[in-house]
Amino acid sequence: MAMHKKISRREFIRLAGLTAAGTALAACAPTAAPTEAPAAPAATEAPAAITQAPAVSKPTEILHWSWLAASDGEVWKQMIDSFNEAHKDKNISIKMEVIPEEQFVPKVVGAAATGQAPDFGWGTAGLRAKMIKDGVVVPQDDYASKVGLDLTDFTDSSLKASRYPSFGNKLYMTPMDAMSLQMQVNLDHVKEAGLDATKPPTTAEELMTWAKAMTKMDGDKVVRSGIMMTGSGVQPTVTWGIVARQMGFLRASDDLKQAAINPEAGKKAMQWVLDLFDTHKVSTRDVTDRYKAFGTGEGSMFWTGPWTLNGYIEQGLNFMTVFFPNVGGELHTYFELGGLEMYTQKDPGRYEATMYALKWLSDNCFLWTTKGRGAAVRKSVLAQPDYKTAGSPWEVRGAFVEGMSFATEGEIPVLEAPNFTIYSGGNFLAKTLETVWVGEKTIDQAMDEIQKQWQSDLDKG
Amino acid sequence: MNTPATLPFWQRTRLRMRKATWNYQRIDWSGYVFILPFFIPFLTFTVVAIIFGSYIAFNDWGIMGAPQFVGLANFKEAFTDEWVVKAFTNILRYGLIIVPGVTVLGLIFAVYVNKRWYFSGFVRAAFYSPNVVSATVIGLVWVWILDTQFGLLNKYLNMIGIPNIPWLTSTQWSLIGVSIASIWWDLGFSFVLFLAALQEIPRELQEAAEIDGASGMQSFWYVSLPILRPTISMIVTLQLIATMRIFSQVYMMTNGGPAGSSDSVIHYIYQTAIVRFRLGYAAAVSLMLFVVILIVTFIQQRLIRESVQ
Repeated sequence: MAMHKKISRREFIRLAGLTAAGTALAACAPTAAPTEAPAAPAATEAPAAITQAPAVSKPTEILHWSWLAASDGEVWKQMIDSFNEAHKDKNISIKMEVIPEEQFVPKVVGAAATGQAPDFGWGTAGLRAKMIKDGVVVPQDDYASKVGLDLTDFTDSSLKASRYPSFGNKLYMTPMDAMSLQMQVNLDHVKEAGLDATKPPTTAEELMTWAKAMTKMDGDKVVRSGIMMTGSGVQPTVTWGIVARQMGFLRASDDLKQAAINPEAGKKAMQWVLDLFDTHKVSTRDVTDRYKAFGTGEGSMFWTGPWTLNGYIEQGLNFMTVFFPNVGGELHTYFELGGLEMYTQKDPGRYEATMYALKWLSDNCFLWTTKGRGAAVRKSVLAQPDYKTAGSPWEVRGAFVEGMSFATEGEIPVLEAPNFTIYSGGNFLAKTLETVWVGEKTIDQAMDEIQKQWQSDLDKG
Repeated sequence: MNTPATLPFWQRTRLRMRKATWNYQRIDWSGYVFILPFFIPFLTFTVVAIIFGSYIAFNDWGIMGAPQFVGLANFKEAFTDEWVVKAFTNILRYGLIIVPGVTVLGLIFAVYVNKRWYFSGFVRAAFYSPNVVSATVIGLVWVWILDTQFGLLNKYLNMIGIPNIPWLTSTQWSLIGVSIASIWWDLGFSFVLFLAALQEIPRELQEAAEIDGASGMQSFWYVSLPILRPTISMIVTLQLIATMRIFSQVYMMTNGGPAGSSDSVIHYIYQTAIVRFRLGYAAAVSLMLFVVILIVTFIQQRLIRESVQ
């Protein structure tokens, strides 16, 4: 028989109070202390790494935050799994957590402010000056040499982009893959228009000929864009950025002192973008989702990055990738460098273990740079005989690898770097240019505003 | 009686608390214990956050490091920032479309269900269901529905001879496109409140009107509607406040574009604070939004009160 004991009001309150206090104390209690840092390199050798794994007496779990969530995220997970598999008896492992891209930086900064930052995460070269100034991102030079990361094996452009001249020119990221914007062409449309796919457009005139041949109109309205554009957001902004550079415009001088050099070229590029819609009528402003639109045949030529390859291949789109054409006189295209950055830790002993993990991932980046995302930045990987045959077919991937030679339009590594980004749909540049695309402001007014804002940004350092 | 000094501290405290009085009455601590689970989070995440936000509005701060006092600089900048002006204008325009839309449609649908016309059971569920769907889903679905070339809405409009409308890609239409999605999303809330209010109207009043020869429309206009005025006032007020704080739909559907034509103040604050890390400036704009909501709500309450009188 069950025993029933009456509980008085006072006892109930006491119990409730104790429970509440206990819960509050438990919530306030510090989380488990970080696992012990590796002491020194051990004698055991990591299977795929060049150097040895650091010796660890207790299991070390390195926390990694990634924002890769599409097909590239799956390949990156394979990379992390491979690391863990290769180190299962070495007391070191990586725990990966996926953070939505738009929340990534705020979460890292917020976590760093409370001493809970992950050990390493994905970064983009040139965008971290503010985080470096605030001490969130940690320089890697010393740790790289400690774990034996061979920096001479990296391409010069990747190392240059990972350093920050305003912060002692130190290395703040281990470069992983380089990306550029090249032109994808729908081969069904090429065939339909009677064009020769072996001779893709390389100049402004040829580009316009191809665009006009593949554009479809319904009365006065473009219903299939020869050149895939959107009326606002990333696509017209990045197009302007690339074409303006080709025409001789510079967002900042080499010494990062003067903004908007040769503004006339920038204005000419704005007019070139507007003409796609209004004069040549080879693009429409009505496209909402550019990726989906190209995939469903709403556009014929689309400048985009290697991150689209897996998706379009999987859906069976018949396309090829060629170099971004030389529209303005000097061949340039957008450049983005992805890499791994280390974040500030309460326990500095963790940096060496993290750097070891970064080294391993960099040394074993073949999978990542053939199936995952961009082109390899390790000379030894690029020189491997099977680099061209592995992963996605060369006719869709090759331009992204070989086109890196003229991919120069990266980030401006200053505190207000986001204002200069040409691959953005919502930053200061994109919003200002949008006023031109929609006819709210003149080209002169917009260039004047851009010049003033950028100069003030450069003056901040 | 004094508390014996020989007792341990915690026992003395317990005794003191047991004997504590307020206004000559013994304090019943159990009430405080019960409100504690609400009060602590409220204090931490609302009261402290408001005080801290107000303090930050007068500082330059980017999460890391100590805030630097800048006086009224953030407010001065906000008044001359064309994007802030645009965002404030936009939320007033959103208010002019969404609030009447939600109120009128909510009332019509509530009357329909209250009258138990055809399929009213299904209609009741159908009208309320959008309200429980997440903003992300709403955004994705409506981006597809409002797509200029392949959207469902334009397909139907084409059938009656109306050409494609660039709902989300033109400066003229983007705010309307977002408003349509918002009305669809928010409708359920006003619908339920109106339905509850309609069901509270005494049947005798309607019957008396019918006996006096009032038509259905007259009965609604002269009997039901005056009784519904407090509900209308509440819905308009709540909806106005919610609309002036519109964010998710803007973020998901247009990101504020093109050229800021559909941007909202909260979206601008998000961009400033979370993307650009200008927390002080974002806090200043937040305070401005608070004042604007206060003024608009006050004016709207006065107008409703005057119309009732």
